[in-house]
Amino acid sequence: MQAAIESLRQFIPDLPYEIQADFEAIWQPFEAKRKVILSAEGAVEKHIYFVLEGVQRAYFVGEDGQEATLVFTYAPSFGGVADSFLLQTPSNYWYETLTPSRFLRSTFQQLDALMLRHHALERIIRLLTSQALAGVLSRQIELQNFSAEARFRALLKRSPQLLQLVPHKYIASYLGMDATNFSKFMGSVRL
Amino acid sequence: MTHKTEELLNKLQERTESILQKAVQEWQLLPPEQLSVKPGPDKWSPAQCLEHLNFYGHHYLPAIEKAIKAAKGRNGIPAEVFKSGWLGQYFTQLMLPQPDGGLKSTMKSPKNAVPAAEPEPLATLAEFMEQQERMLQLLEAARAVNLTTVRVPISLSPWIRLRLGDTFGFVVAHNERHVLQLEKGLLLHPKILANLVQSTP
Repeated sequence: MQAAIESLRQFIPDLPYEIQADFEAIWQPFEAKRKVILSAEGAVEKHIYFVLEGVQRAYFVGEDGQEATLVFTYAPSFGGVADSFLLQTPSNYWYETLTPSRFLRSTFQQLDALMLRHHALERIIRLLTSQALAGVLSRQIELQNFSAEARFRALLKRSPQLLQLVPHKYIASYLGMDATNFSKFMGSVRL
Repeated sequence: MTHKTEELLNKLQERTESILQKAVQEWQLLPPEQLSVKPGPDKWSPAQCLEHLNFYGHHYLPAIEKAIKAAKGRNGIPAEVFKSGWLGQYFTQLMLPQPDGGLKSTMKSPKNAVPAAEPEPLATLAEFMEQQERMLQLLEAARAVNLTTVRVPISLSPWIRLRLGDTFGFVVAHNERHVLQLEKGLLLHPKILANLVQSTP
């Protein structure tokens, strides 16, 4: 637990001691096996996760049952259905583990109460949310303007470890390409 | 033979997880051609081993899911202990490797379970991984039902039904049997595990 809290601490730099202590007190350890659904479409996201181990994904399921992987999460970063959590509205997509996973997690009520109490903490959460927004927008650029190969290369640069952590169909889905195209690009980087 | 239900399901999940990890961490990174190499003239390639397992998965995964759903519909409740049946034990024993890692008996697979000469390796592997993920979820769902009274028809005949706990034991042991065969096949050839992380330009 101590190591987990220290990993979390790097995301909340320069907080006065008592605010830091309040913040660290709202997290509980949580574990899930592979392919466990943590948040379902239509439900309001109750939890925010801090990933300590494993890979997870948020994904959308279309009317035809086709899945689109929106984002992967892995340590050390926050996870969950971000918009549903922050707005407390029903989620449009799912969040699940892709490998056995360990987390710290907290609830909206606890985090919200702390943010109302400590302005410095609310500011940190705003900065983290801003970074997440920047990430979403730059991925939007990749999806709309990059060639399939450039998307593959960008992922390889950003998260090469994913290739040996999760079945490739999830990565192909994240990149918006079919399995055949994905394996062609895999072949081009294999030695 | 009796087992503690929880321990049995944990163990089966661990064994399935370890098969899946090999597929994810090693097999899917190999050049696909390597999965198509036959270790001998009358031997199955790794892709053929996987296709053979997928064939059984096509029967057992939906059959298990159906049995669990039906049991939940009847408000079946789980039991602390699972009692294995004689037929289930017999089938599972046939599948298990010897302590030295060798296979006990070379069996002839039923004709319809013999894989195509050259299955498409990546699609076959992708389906295999999907099936193992589904297996993990079914093992989890099975915690809500009675492994002894819920029964699943075997692939050879709808009239012979194994206890759910035996069905799981048999399918996982059968998977392990052919994974062992697959790995022996891969060992015969130099392992070119793509070192993607290091070799990425």
